[in-house]
Amino acid sequence: MDLGSILYLGVTFGLFVIFAWIVIKTYSRKNRDRNEEAKYRMLDDD
Amino acid sequence: MDTPQYNTDIVRSFILWSVIWGLVAIVVGLVVSVQMTNPELNFPPYFTFGRLRPLHTNAGIYGWAVGVIFATFYYIVQRLCKVRIWSDKLATFQLWFFNATIIAAAISLLLGFNTSKEYHELEWPVDIMVVVLWVAFAINIIMTIIKRQEEQMYISLWYMMAAIIGVAILYLVNAAEVPVSLFKSYSIYAGTNDANVQWWFGHNAVAMVLTAPPLAMFYYFLPKTTGVPIYSHKISIISFWSLIFMYLWTGTHHLLWTPVPDWIQTLAMAFSLMLIAPSWGSVINGYLSMKGQWHQMRDNYLVKFLIIGITFYGLQTLQGPMQAIRSFSAFIHYTDWVPAHIHMGTMGWVSMIAFASIYYLVPRIYGKELYSIQLANLHFWLILIGQLIWSISLWIAGVLQAGMWNAMNPDGSLTYTFMETMVEMYPYWWARTIGGVIFLAGVLVFVFNLIKTIRGGESLVSSAVPVEGRA
Repeated sequence: MDLGSILYLGVTFGLFVIFAWIVIKTYSRKNRDRNEEAKYRMLDDD
Repeated sequence: MDTPQYNTDIVRSFILWSVIWGLVAIVVGLVVSVQMTNPELNFPPYFTFGRLRPLHTNAGIYGWAVGVIFATFYYIVQRLCKVRIWSDKLATFQLWFFNATIIAAAISLLLGFNTSKEYHELEWPVDIMVVVLWVAFAINIIMTIIKRQEEQMYISLWYMMAAIIGVAILYLVNAAEVPVSLFKSYSIYAGTNDANVQWWFGHNAVAMVLTAPPLAMFYYFLPKTTGVPIYSHKISIISFWSLIFMYLWTGTHHLLWTPVPDWIQTLAMAFSLMLIAPSWGSVINGYLSMKGQWHQMRDNYLVKFLIIGITFYGLQTLQGPMQAIRSFSAFIHYTDWVPAHIHMGTMGWVSMIAFASIYYLVPRIYGKELYSIQLANLHFWLILIGQLIWSISLWIAGVLQAGMWNAMNPDGSLTYTFMETMVEMYPYWWARTIGGVIFLAGVLVFVFNLIKTIRGGESLVSSAVPVEGRA
């Protein structure tokens, strides 16, 4: 595997870490309920 | 807080033009379908299959789908952000530049100016028009989001921003070319790199034009139609981010068994299979949003369009990854199976959601009750039956074609000549044309219903019928 291939996989791994962070943040105790508020508020946007 | 004065004129205009370009796409699609069964109906040089086919795909994707995207995004962004769009003048410029770009694209394609890259056929002067158009759109939507009065962003806004940024990056990278004359350019990439970039663009154009925007519409119009919120906003957010992270790696599945490095092909195959999870995250979220509301499938015509649309999305996103597996790809690639797959997405998923969105919008922005819910139901069944005939006939054709191509005699020679395999396709190609005619009939019913609604529908203000499109 050449340097380009390693870089390609490295970026993939980096993206996975960012994704894992988003999942943890979305389901954290602090944000769990707050993240559902938008779906109620959009019903009343007219 | 006072309700802002939203700009609905721009939504009306984009709906009008998207429907016009949609009709052009379907009619030209029917013409090229008949040209397959009756080659004598090719009239060189302008009206041959080679020139009309890209006109069909460009009118369908960039005229119909993108036109509906412009209309719905302008409607949705104002309401979710509770502000008027950032610039009315920029939106009006965008409307007319959109039509100028589509006309320039149509003329240049008929004249034979073509980069030969599928879904990116437009030569560099029209490429520049596309970029100007998209930048105008992006600035207006992003600035509207920035000045929003709602702190939290509903999931539709995330999908809208992904589409805007994604299309910009994809188009600019794949459009990198060296002009050699006014209407001829060459890609700056060479060989397999060019192919790899092209299908990175090609497959992600599906993601950013034909997946993210319809999901933005689905997540907005389903709860508005049923009157109940989506099942889980958190699931929608996780599905969104996983879709964004995974989609960009899958383009090379269009290049399995080619000189592109083997490990990139494997990576694309693996990510394509993983893509089932975020896709079905949205599908299941949609189904669970119907909990206690399934009766609306029977008595609310908009729900029918939306739920059957998301069902086709689910089927599409199961079939797609299967096709990305090397062994299966070896069998069906280059056969008629592939257009059947694509048309389940465009006619079944994208168009169902687009029709539902327009049916939702037109009565509201014109202040008129829909002329006929019976006609809307007729429209639904005609496009559903038309699409199923279209796709099922070509799936069968594709399997038959692949079987005949792969058949070998004991001595290793091919059992069938290529011409013999072509002759076998005729009944299926006719079935495809019949499916297309039925689909067109459905769309004409839709257009008639819209015209009657706009010109003479009962005013919603004086109507006792609820606004939400109950049957």
